[in-house]
Amino acid sequence: MGRTLAQARKELTQLVRDRLSLVLALALPVGLLLLLGRAFSLSVADVPIVVQDLDASTASQGLIDAFRASRTFHVVSWPPDRQPDQALASNAARAALIIPPHFGRDVARGVPSPVQLQADGTDANTAKLVSGDAAEVVAAYNARTAGAGHPAPVQAAIRLWYNPGESPQKFYGPGIFVMAVSIFPALLATLAMAKEGEQQTILQVYVSSVSASEFLLGKILAFMAVALAETVILVGLLVTTFGVGFAGDPTPFLAATVLYAFCVAAFGTMVGAAIPNQAAAMQAVAFGGFLLVLLLSGLLFPIANIPAGLRWISNVVWGRYYIEVVRDALLQGGGWAAMWDKVLIIGAIGAVFYAAAWRTMRRMQVRA
Amino acid sequence: MTAPLRALRSGRLRALAGKEFRQIFRDRRLVLSLTVAPVVQLLLFGSVLNANVSNVSLGVVDESRTPESRELVADLTQSQAFRLGGYYVSAGRLGDALGRGAVDAGVVIPYDFARDLVRGRPATVQFLLNATNVNTAQISRAYAQGVIQAYDAGLAAQGLHAAFTQIAATPVSGRGTIQLDPAFLFNPALESSWFVTTGIFGMLMILNGTIISSTVMLREREFGTIEQLLMSPASTAEIMLAKFVPVSLLLSAMALGALGLMRLAFGVPVHGSLVVVLGGAVLCLLAGVGLGTMLATFTQSAAQAFLMVLFINPPLVSLSGALMPVEAMPKWLQPLTVLNPIYHFARIARGALIKGAGFEALWPNFLALLAFTTALVALSVWRFRRQLG
Repeated sequence: MGRTLAQARKELTQLVRDRLSLVLALALPVGLLLLLGRAFSLSVADVPIVVQDLDASTASQGLIDAFRASRTFHVVSWPPDRQPDQALASNAARAALIIPPHFGRDVARGVPSPVQLQADGTDANTAKLVSGDAAEVVAAYNARTAGAGHPAPVQAAIRLWYNPGESPQKFYGPGIFVMAVSIFPALLATLAMAKEGEQQTILQVYVSSVSASEFLLGKILAFMAVALAETVILVGLLVTTFGVGFAGDPTPFLAATVLYAFCVAAFGTMVGAAIPNQAAAMQAVAFGGFLLVLLLSGLLFPIANIPAGLRWISNVVWGRYYIEVVRDALLQGGGWAAMWDKVLIIGAIGAVFYAAAWRTMRRMQVRA
Repeated sequence: MTAPLRALRSGRLRALAGKEFRQIFRDRRLVLSLTVAPVVQLLLFGSVLNANVSNVSLGVVDESRTPESRELVADLTQSQAFRLGGYYVSAGRLGDALGRGAVDAGVVIPYDFARDLVRGRPATVQFLLNATNVNTAQISRAYAQGVIQAYDAGLAAQGLHAAFTQIAATPVSGRGTIQLDPAFLFNPALESSWFVTTGIFGMLMILNGTIISSTVMLREREFGTIEQLLMSPASTAEIMLAKFVPVSLLLSAMALGALGLMRLAFGVPVHGSLVVVLGGAVLCLLAGVGLGTMLATFTQSAAQAFLMVLFINPPLVSLSGALMPVEAMPKWLQPLTVLNPIYHFARIARGALIKGAGFEALWPNFLALLAFTTALVALSVWRFRRQLG
C-alpha cells in the first residue's frame, strides 16, 4: 500500500512539473465544456426564410406577420422577380413561403387555401424542424382567425418534462463533461505509461521491488485523482452556468464517478503499456476516448438511430453508461432503481482494462 | 519565385520528393492515417450521426376505453413516429415509467373523451414528452400535433356521429383555413447522412492534413537529419517544396477516395460540377497542410504536435457547422464560423454536390478559402525557412 501511494505521488509530482500536461489536465476540459456545451445544439432559431407573396392582400400580410412574430423564423427580403428556390441554392435562406394569387379571396370565401413551403432538405433534421414549426405557426393563425366559437374537436396539451425550457445546453453539457473526463485523464495516463516504455525507465521498475500491480495501481490512482479533480471543476461549472442541478439522490452518481475515474485511468494505462510510443499511443486513445465516446455513446444522437450492424459496439463503450448516470442524476432523478446496473457495468469494464494492463505488464517483464 | 523554378529544372527536386514519398510509405502510422482513418471516419460518422426521430416509445393511459380512444391510439402508434411502449393504469404510473426511461413519451386520454366528442364539446388529450433530448422532444411534438390534426380531419369525414361532423366541420360563416404544403428541395427523402458526410469531408482534410504534414515536417528534426539536408546542395526552397508536393498529392488522392466513398456508401448525389468540389477540396487540404507545417514550427516532436492538434481540433470542428447547423449556435458564436476553413468547404461541398450550385453562387467561400490557404502556407513557409536557416 505504501509503495502504491509513493508511485501515485511520483506521478502527480511529474504532472505538476510539466506545464503542458497541467494545461491538458485542467484548462482544456474547461474550455471544451464551455465551447462545445454551448455550440452543440440542433434547435435552430432565426432561420432565414424568404416570402413570395403573389397575392399582396391583407390576409397574406397577416400570415407573413405571423411568421415574422415566430422565434424560429426570420423573414428576409428577396426580389419578387427571382425564383425563391434560388434563395435556397445560394444559402440566402433555408426555406421559402409561397402564397398563391387569390389567396385573400379564397380565405374570405371560406374555401380551404393552400400555401406552399419549400424547405432546404440538405440538412434533413433542420428541414423537419422548420416544416414542423411552420405548421404550428399556420395552425395558430387558423385558430386565431376561426374565432373562439370553433376550436378543433381534439386538442393536444403537450407537457415537456425534465427540461421544460427546452434548453439544449442541459442535454449536451453533461455529455461534453463525460467526454472530457473520458479523454484527458486517459491521455495523460497513456503519455506517462508510454514514456516509461519509450525511455526504458520501465526497466528500473522491473528490477526494483515494486510488483506489477503496485506499479499499475499507483499510476491509476494518480490519474483517478486527476479525473476526480476535473469532475469537481466541471460539475461545478455545469451547476453554475448550465442551469442543471442534482435532481434526487446523488449517491449513484458519486459511486459511478469513482468507478468511471478508475475505468478511464485503467484504459489509458492499458494502451500505454501495449504501445510504447507516445504519438501512436495517443492516437489510439484519441480513437477510443474521442471517437467511441463521441459517436457510440448517445452523446449527440439517440443510440437507437445507429444502424444495427454498429449498434452492438455501443454496449461495450464505457462512456455510454456514465452518460446515462450523469443525465439521470442531473435531469431526471431516477436514482438507484434506474441506475444500479449501469454503475455495475462501469466497474466491470474498468476491471477488464486493469486485468489487460496487468497481463501486458507481466508479459513485458518476462521478456525483459 | 526564381528559386523554385530553377529547382524544377535541376531534377534535385524530383529526387528529394521521391525520398519523401518513400519515407511516407514506410511509416505505417502515416499510411494508416491516409487510408484506414478517413474510410473509418466517413463510414462511422456518416452512419452513426443521425438525428432522425422515429419509433419513439409511447406509453398510453386510456381512461376512456372506447372505440374512439382506441382509434386515436392506433393512429398514434401506426405512424412511423411512435411505437407502442405499453399501457399504464394511471398517469402516475406513466410518469414513473418516463422517469425510469422505460418510455420516451406518454399520452393520457381522459375518461370523458368520447362522451365530450359525442356531445359536440372539444376534448383535450395530454401528451408527456421527455424533453431531456430537446431535438427529439421538438420533433415528437410536431408529430403528435400532426396525428391529432389528421384525427380531427378524419372525424369530419367518417361521420360516425352527427355531432362529430358538426364539431369538426369548418365554420360556414367563418374564414377558410390555410393549409401548408411542405416540400423538401434538393433532398426529398431527407437523407440525414448527406449533411453529415459533406461536413466530415472538410474535417478529414483539415485534421488529417494537419497530422500528416506536421509529422513529415518534424521528422528530420526528430531524427537529427536536418543538418545533412542543409549541407546538401539543395536550397531551403527545394527542401520545403519537396515536402509540400508529396503530402499534397497524397491528400488529394485521399479526397478523391473520400468523394467516391460518399457516392458509393451513402448515395450522395453530384448535382453540380465536380471541378468546383475538387477545386474547393484542394484549397481546403492546402489550408490543412499549411496549418500542420505551422504547428511543426512550434513543436519539437510528433507527440507534441499531436497534442497541439487536440487543442485546435474541438474549436475547429464545433464552430464549423459540419455536424450541426450554424443557426443552432448561440448568436455570439455564429460570426466566428466565417474564420473556419471547414465551414467554407462544407458550404462548397453541399452547394456543388447536393444543391447543384455553381461557382457564381459559391465564389465568396472560394475567396475565403483562398485567403486562408495563402496566409497559412505563406506564414508557415516563412517560419520554417527561418528555422532552417
